[in-house]
Order: sequence, then structure tokens, then C-alpha cells
Amino acid sequence: MEFLTWLEMTDFSTWLRESDWGYPVLLCFHAVGMGVVVGISWMYSARILGYAKSFPLEGFERLFSLAWFGFVINAASGVLLFVGEPRRLAATPAFWIKMVLIVCAGLSLWALEKALHGMDDADALPGAGGAAAREVVVTGAARTAAIASIVFWLAAITAGRIIGYTMPPPPL
Amino acid sequence: MTEAEVLQWIKDLPIGAAVRQSRWLFALGETLHFIGLCLMVGGLLIVDLRLLGYIRRIPMRAALAFLPFVIVGFLINLATGTEFFMTDPFMYWPNPAFKLKMFMVLLGGVNALVFTVMEHRHVLVLGRDERTSPLGKITAGASLAIWFCVILLGRLLPTFEGSTSFF
Repeated sequence: MEFLTWLEMTDFSTWLRESDWGYPVLLCFHAVGMGVVVGISWMYSARILGYAKSFPLEGFERLFSLAWFGFVINAASGVLLFVGEPRRLAATPAFWIKMVLIVCAGLSLWALEKALHGMDDADALPGAGGAAAREVVVTGAARTAAIASIVFWLAAITAGRIIGYTMPPPPL
Repeated sequence: MTEAEVLQWIKDLPIGAAVRQSRWLFALGETLHFIGLCLMVGGLLIVDLRLLGYIRRIPMRAALAFLPFVIVGFLINLATGTEFFMTDPFMYWPNPAFKLKMFMVLLGGVNALVFTVMEHRHVLVLGRDERTSPLGKITAGASLAIWFCVILLGRLLPTFEGSTSFF
């Protein structure tokens, strides 16, 4: 708590709270990052669950790099958003719930990525020649990770909205 | 009818009244609006980045198979956006960020129309690694830029609330 109070008293934190542009700019980055990381995660999940089967899975590799970039943008902007209101956010349950959900969503994304590479390796196995080699078997693990990714990001977005509605008033 | 009368008529519609009375309904609308945003951005990234050549080794037809997500996302946001507007037309209508955002949405629509009418059937035949025409790339780049701006302007609506101009 003392650290949070100290953080709140810093010039930077004060500037964030009092400036007209600090929060809006941070929220812009946060919205764009969200669109990128959640959008790509959901598209990949859809593909894993059977949508657009003609779309080759390796096509998602570069998109994943972009998704992680979006994740990093939101981690950075999220840290700065926290720096602006550390005590109020620390006292908001929805904030902690969102953090847990984001970790879960990140883990799902990591599991999806692992599933992608795992399936690429499976293609190289001897005996899987000809047309059969291009047909990648979507494992149950990949499907579970896909559904988890959809649900966790959905819940994180909802929790994010609830933070704004349930933040306590500024401490005296 | 005057502008104020039209806005008042919109404000008096039942949907606006219902949402004004329930913060929960408004929060639900916001959450759905973000979901629509993510669906649109996800779908657009696949389609536009394939058109631009940033992602390759994908038959164009397969990339375009993600267009329905863009449309569904857009429709969700059109519906929730209309809901928001109906709760407080007098706040949104004069807001310069709102006006510019709506203009950009229309521009996005025009850009999509240009692509659909002029490029869609030409790009459908493109296989893995095959490049798009200049017009295909221009509409794809414009699409990303336009919808990026729409997101930013949406985020800036509260900042310009009560203002009548950006300056």
C-alpha cells in the first residue's frame, strides 16, 4: 500500500491523472492493441475449430507475431494506466480479475501457438506423404485452447469495462 | 423539423430511454461494441494483410473467407453504436470526434464498395504467393488506416464531449 501511495504521488502519476491527454492517448493504444491481439486470437480459434479449412495454418505465423506485438502494447499501456490510479485500481476487484483472465488468455494463446508448431512437425513425419500430409489433424488440446482463448478474452474485455464502473472514489 | 426536434425525437424513442435507465444495458452495449471491434479488426487484418502481401502462402480465396467476421463485427457495432446515440443524441451530434468518426466509417464503407466492385472477383483467383494489383493494395492499406482512425476517434469521444470543434 505504501508503494502504491508513493507511486501515486510521483510527478508522472499526477500528470497522468491531471492532464487532458494522458489517459485518452493511453486508452487509444489500449483499444488498438486489444483489437489486434483479441482479433487475431479469435480468428485463429475460429480456424482451429473448423472455420475456413482452406486457410493454411502456417498462414497464421506472421499474424501471431503481430498478436504478440498487440499484447505487448496493451501490457505497456496497461502498466501506465495503473500508474495513474494505483490505489483505486488495486482496490477494484474487477481489476484483479481482469489480470488473472489476461494471464489465462495469454496462456491459451501460447498453447495455441505450441499446437501450431506441433502440427507442423507432424506433417514432416515419415509415412504422412502425399495429400494426407497437408491435412492437419486438429487435436483435442488445440480445440480446447481455442475455446479457452475465445472465452478468456471475452471475459477480460468484460472485466475491463466493469473496472470503469466499479472503481472506488479517490482516496483522501 | 429543426435539427433539435429530430434529435429530441430520437432521444424519446423507447430504446434510448431504456438504456438511459440501466447502466447495465449501457455497459453490455459497450462490451458488445468492443467484441464487434475485435471481430472486425481480426478479419480485416487477415484480408488486408494478404492483399498487401505481408502474409503470403495463402490462396486469396481462403483469406477472403474471413470477410464474414468483418461484416458481423460491423453490424454488431452499427447496432450498439445506434443504441449509444439514442441514449444521448444531443451529446454525440455536435461532438467533432463523433462527426469525424462517422465520416471515417462512411469512408470505410466506400472503400469496401470500391474493393468489392472493382477488385474482389479479380483477386479470388490468386493462389499462394500471387500478388495483388495496385488497386487491391491501395484499398487494403486504406482499409487498415481508416478503421484504425475509427478506433482512435471512438476512444477520443469523451475528450471532445461538450466541444464543438477540435481546437
